[in-house]
Amino acid sequence: MANGRLEKFLNRFADVRGHEAHAALYLSGFFFLITFTFYIIKPVKESFLIGINPAWWPYADLATALLIGFVVALNVRLLNRLPRRIYISTSLLFFIGSLLVFWYAFDVYLKSLVSTPVADSSGGIFFVWLPLAIIKAGTVPVFVFSFWSDVFIAMSVTQFWIAVNDVFDPYQGKRLVGLFVTGGLFGGIAGSSVAALMVFAKLISAGNLLLLCPVILLFALMMVNLVYAEQKQLRETAGAEVDPVQAGARVGYWKSFLAVKRSRYLLLLAATLASAMVVGSLINFQFKFAVKSVFPDTNDRTFFVSVFFLAILVVSTVFHLATTGRILRSFGIGWALLVAPVLLLAGSLSVFLVSAGALLAWASLVRGGDKLFDNTISQSVRELLYIPVPSDIKYRAKIFIDMFVNKFATGLGAGLYWGLYRLSGFAYKDEVAKVREIGILVVVFLCLWIALTRAVYAEYPAVLKKDIRRKWAEGDKLIRDNVDVDLTRDVFDALQSRERSTTLYLMNVFDLVRKNNLTPGLKEVLGIKQDELRARSIDSLFDVGGEVLFQSLDEAIVDKEFASEIDLIFLLPSYQEVMGKRLAKDAGSASEVDRMDAAKLIGLMVRSPETLRYLERFLQDPSPEVVTYALRSAAVHRRVEHVPLIILQLGNPLTALEAQGTLTDYGPGIEEELKSALGDKSEALEVRRSIPVVLARFGTQRSADILLDEIARRREDVEPELIDALYKIRADRPEVRFRDKIVRPEILFLIEKSYAIVLNAPGRAPGDAPADLTSEAKAALDIKIKRVFDLMTLLHPPEDIVKACQNILQGTRKSVDYSLSLLDDLLDRELKALFFPLIEDLPPEERILRMKKAMRLK
Amino acid sequence: MLIKTRESNNVVIFDIEGEIRRSESMQTTLHNLVKSHLDRGRRNVLLNLEGVEFIDSFGVGEILASYISTQNLGGKLKLCRISKKLLLIFQITMLTKVLDIQEDCEGALESFDKA
Repeated sequence: MANGRLEKFLNRFADVRGHEAHAALYLSGFFFLITFTFYIIKPVKESFLIGINPAWWPYADLATALLIGFVVALNVRLLNRLPRRIYISTSLLFFIGSLLVFWYAFDVYLKSLVSTPVADSSGGIFFVWLPLAIIKAGTVPVFVFSFWSDVFIAMSVTQFWIAVNDVFDPYQGKRLVGLFVTGGLFGGIAGSSVAALMVFAKLISAGNLLLLCPVILLFALMMVNLVYAEQKQLRETAGAEVDPVQAGARVGYWKSFLAVKRSRYLLLLAATLASAMVVGSLINFQFKFAVKSVFPDTNDRTFFVSVFFLAILVVSTVFHLATTGRILRSFGIGWALLVAPVLLLAGSLSVFLVSAGALLAWASLVRGGDKLFDNTISQSVRELLYIPVPSDIKYRAKIFIDMFVNKFATGLGAGLYWGLYRLSGFAYKDEVAKVREIGILVVVFLCLWIALTRAVYAEYPAVLKKDIRRKWAEGDKLIRDNVDVDLTRDVFDALQSRERSTTLYLMNVFDLVRKNNLTPGLKEVLGIKQDELRARSIDSLFDVGGEVLFQSLDEAIVDKEFASEIDLIFLLPSYQEVMGKRLAKDAGSASEVDRMDAAKLIGLMVRSPETLRYLERFLQDPSPEVVTYALRSAAVHRRVEHVPLIILQLGNPLTALEAQGTLTDYGPGIEEELKSALGDKSEALEVRRSIPVVLARFGTQRSADILLDEIARRREDVEPELIDALYKIRADRPEVRFRDKIVRPEILFLIEKSYAIVLNAPGRAPGDAPADLTSEAKAALDIKIKRVFDLMTLLHPPEDIVKACQNILQGTRKSVDYSLSLLDDLLDRELKALFFPLIEDLPPEERILRMKKAMRLK
Repeated sequence: MLIKTRESNNVVIFDIEGEIRRSESMQTTLHNLVKSHLDRGRRNVLLNLEGVEFIDSFGVGEILASYISTQNLGGKLKLCRISKKLLLIFQITMLTKVLDIQEDCEGALESFDKA
């Protein structure tokens, strides 16, 4: 089947994409054949077990529980030493061989014959068929077979999921799990049908059914080898994109146990599985009592059990196809985990209302429900919970949990039954009473299961997030953490002013001194020299009464007392008077430098109506250099009447940055003025684009509310700046709240605009085949997607959203998939349906289809 | 100030000549130019300062704003052929902790690929 047709066919069962089709098909086929085999073995085993004395029932499970540890150890050793492909193939060959042995043993058991050498009178040796008492004696073969079949299914299913984890990453796994589970279900249906039909038609006895299994397992062996051969080929041609299949990881049994013990998440997973297994085990005993009471004959029992499992599997298949994927997509993993325990709890509680005549029907329903959920949603979700665990830990843990914990818990259930049987005098009670007493234990463990499920799900996002890291740090934060921006500005201003005005230069130097920022290195760069200073500068500043105050300015500059002395001098009334005269003279000067001096000087002077009047004039000066110094002085005096003039300067690209700084220094008290300017459409666009920067620096709740109100007006000309400002407030001020009823519609609106980029791509007419976007369209789309993510940080944990965003825009395929899994967990159904077609890696045709479908549902 | 734009190996190179200062009149600022290229999907930016004689606080603000815009989109902004005096000032003011300053532009272009 060509790739395209295969993909189309498989897409009926799950979301399969081109390059995955072959591997998905082979693995699904492998699982089909495994379950086919198991569902032939299972009714045989169950029938044999039910036929023995009920007092012996728990020993089968207890034997499994006690011995499974050795099997796990052996399994781990094989995983350690052998490459995966050889490990799985070797296991399958072992099971094929042992099936033949069991067939022989049961065939002998049932026929009661075995060949034995006998000598005749002439001395010749020949063989006759004689009863073999040893094999017929007791229930040993039944227990051995029961143990073997438990090992078979546990190992085979574990190996299957290990193969899935080898080939696919988490998000792929989630998409394809439906296909695999479907393969398993169909395999089970086929196995049960074959078993039921052949026994019913008396074509074959229960024991001889086992002969079919080795043939089926040979095909399974072929399938799994095809998968690994294809992966090897892909590795050789595709290079780094395809993760290499691990050769046997060096994992000891003890290390498997420790891997689980060290992880709270894995411990909870193990405990959840254990409680589910205990419930299953106890429900099974209830079922056995009900069946035994109605079907005393082995073949009748085998037939009933085959039909029962067939019915379960058919219902499971329908349920799985119709419901599992939908539950996962719509409600997520958290709610999907609760489906089984909650419904079983309701069923188990109803045992107290059931009569003897309806016992088999009730038991079939409850056991059927347990198997139904186990085959479908519970299994799917459990495997999904494994996928984000780091691969080096995952393999160790999976073996221990799936094989040891699983069987140990079943054994625990058997032990509880054994205790109940002995202590409660089961032998003397009727079936209904027995089933009800077991039911009490079932309810207790169901409640435990529910509690553990919630605990596991609470840990799930944390496990997922460990695999997603930030790709880059925010530029603002990097600068804030590493650079003193004010110092940098002062240094460059001082350098520039040295060429233009000695007075200005000194004032800038004194600014550095005042802030204790004049390091030796800076002094050298600024070229502060003793002689030069003394000769040129002192007089211009400190000429009070004609005296030179400082003999040596160079030495004075290193003196920490110097700054305080300067401040005191500046406050002297006589100095203020002198400077006032200087200010009046320079304010009207045609020289730009004089006005720069004056503008700077105002920042050093005591506030007076005159100085403020001059400041107002300088804030409107035609020279951006003068305005810059005036803005700095305005930041010192912080007069409300100057705010409109400062806001105007936001519109001048040469002074905008300075004006933003000045308004920031004013503080949150001017929020209303900024709000008015922001909302005024007649205000210059550059002014309105700068205001969100200032509000972001305030970072108050009021600032956030102003930005949100503006964004709700949907003025696209300032939209990027508004979103950027909100994002910054969210990042820096976790205490600020953002109204969901405003943010959410904006997210949806942005997504719609992103859809327009894809659906209305230039040059694409309706009816044209979809093509990849042009680079400009892709760039525009990326920016829109980033803005959607920025807005999402307002409603969801910001760090998680940022990591998801960065990895989706620039991550590896694996990190993209992890990010999608994280978003799948964080976002609600509507948002996921709308947003995911934009961010998933889809063929153009598929993307457009999903977008149109999402818009219809909106 | 004169800014010429060219591209090489997925990197937008701005060859800047003159002085990056507030008093210089210009059609558009350096930051606006960088942003326009970022909007078109470019993520790697190289500022060639060989022809730059002087930078004032406005110029530094433009470079830092360009750096922030590029960095926030997951891009890289680098500088090359900066004068020794300017490099010294950048070092003293710790700008070299965030700005990647390369001695020559060929090496700077190669470093984008390595990153």
